[in-house]
Amino acid sequence: MKRSMASGPESLTEATRAKAGTAPSGKIHPVIIYPFKPPEEYADLEELYRLIASLDRAKDRFHRPITVIDRKTHASLEGNKRFLDFRNHVVAKCSDILDAWCVDTCQMWYSGLGAAFERGSPEDIYWLIPGDFNYGSGVGREVLSRLHDLPEICLELGQDICVGEISTDHNHAKRLIDTYGTFALLYNWFPAEACEIRQYTEWPRSEFFAVRHGFLREVLRHRWFAYEQTVVMLLHAVFNHKRICRFSVGQISDLPEGRESLASCVQQVERTERVLKTIWRERHAARRDWAEQYRTLEQQSEQIRQTALIILKHVLG
Amino acid sequence: MNPSRYGAHRTLRAVNFVCNAPQARAVSLVGDFNQWNATANPMKRMPDGAWFLTLELRHGHHRYAFLVDGHLTLDPRAQGITRNDAGERVSLVPVS
Repeated sequence: MKRSMASGPESLTEATRAKAGTAPSGKIHPVIIYPFKPPEEYADLEELYRLIASLDRAKDRFHRPITVIDRKTHASLEGNKRFLDFRNHVVAKCSDILDAWCVDTCQMWYSGLGAAFERGSPEDIYWLIPGDFNYGSGVGREVLSRLHDLPEICLELGQDICVGEISTDHNHAKRLIDTYGTFALLYNWFPAEACEIRQYTEWPRSEFFAVRHGFLREVLRHRWFAYEQTVVMLLHAVFNHKRICRFSVGQISDLPEGRESLASCVQQVERTERVLKTIWRERHAARRDWAEQYRTLEQQSEQIRQTALIILKHVLG
Repeated sequence: MNPSRYGAHRTLRAVNFVCNAPQARAVSLVGDFNQWNATANPMKRMPDGAWFLTLELRHGHHRYAFLVDGHLTLDPRAQGITRNDAGERVSLVPVS
């Protein structure tokens, strides 16, 4: 182990205890999403699991972390000694491993958050930590040292959902998708809610977030999509007047193994459109004239998707 | 864990607040830490037109905003955004 986190859970515990002498009674459940395609070098995962080990030691504040590993990831690396050693001697040592067959990353979230929820109580907070970022880099370490703010803000300030924002280059695929795809589609299908979401964040599909027990219970029981679940949660938060906040966690990049190709970016825009259409129909299908309005929105939606595709193709292609 | 980490000397940190409002006549800092009291923490005008205040805050996360000539104003440099108990958008500062 090279170093410990500069501002990890010890300072978090201190912060909570020191605040007005009243410690929040809830506990935090870290849920780690193991990379679907793990990198050949383990520096980033090693850094992440140094943090997870420190969370596991702070048992007065944290429940035992849960790491979700897709069975397909495990199956593809069954003979890989490095992977098996890391899994058995690092991951399993500081977290409970949840092996699950998953359609997509959001289903890994569903499995992990659902498993944590079943162990939780009403004051608890659930903290999603994606595993496929460059935590081993200097900026990545800086981000790791701030991530604990997300559940802590929910706990201290009584927020229902805290979305972590990363800062990236203006031509980064995630930023392009959210600016020209996600938000354009949101403004088409849910204009009022899009305005509200935009007041908090430019990253409505962020993989970094923390969510309160009561709100997680609500969203777990709704239709769960295998993709773009943060957008769905934010929409539900706005529909139901939940307390939303945003916190910047710094500059970070996803690992090259998981980086988006043009095809993947287009697919993400299409998925977002599909999800928004479904939610719109669910909320409006009881109205007599819904089909007519739906057709109009669908035509606009197609134009938005095509515009996003042109921009993505020219910037990323 | 070292118990001295929780000593009184570690419970407060000095935090600098800067509000760039050269045309303003009065700016104050309001937040959970002063019960959103407009007169509790007036900011000082600097030669460049920015308004400045250093305040000692407890460890944790605090909601705050600038009151610029009576108007609640977000801090564009803040690390986070949320709403206060009155439902207004306000800024967030972490103190560690």
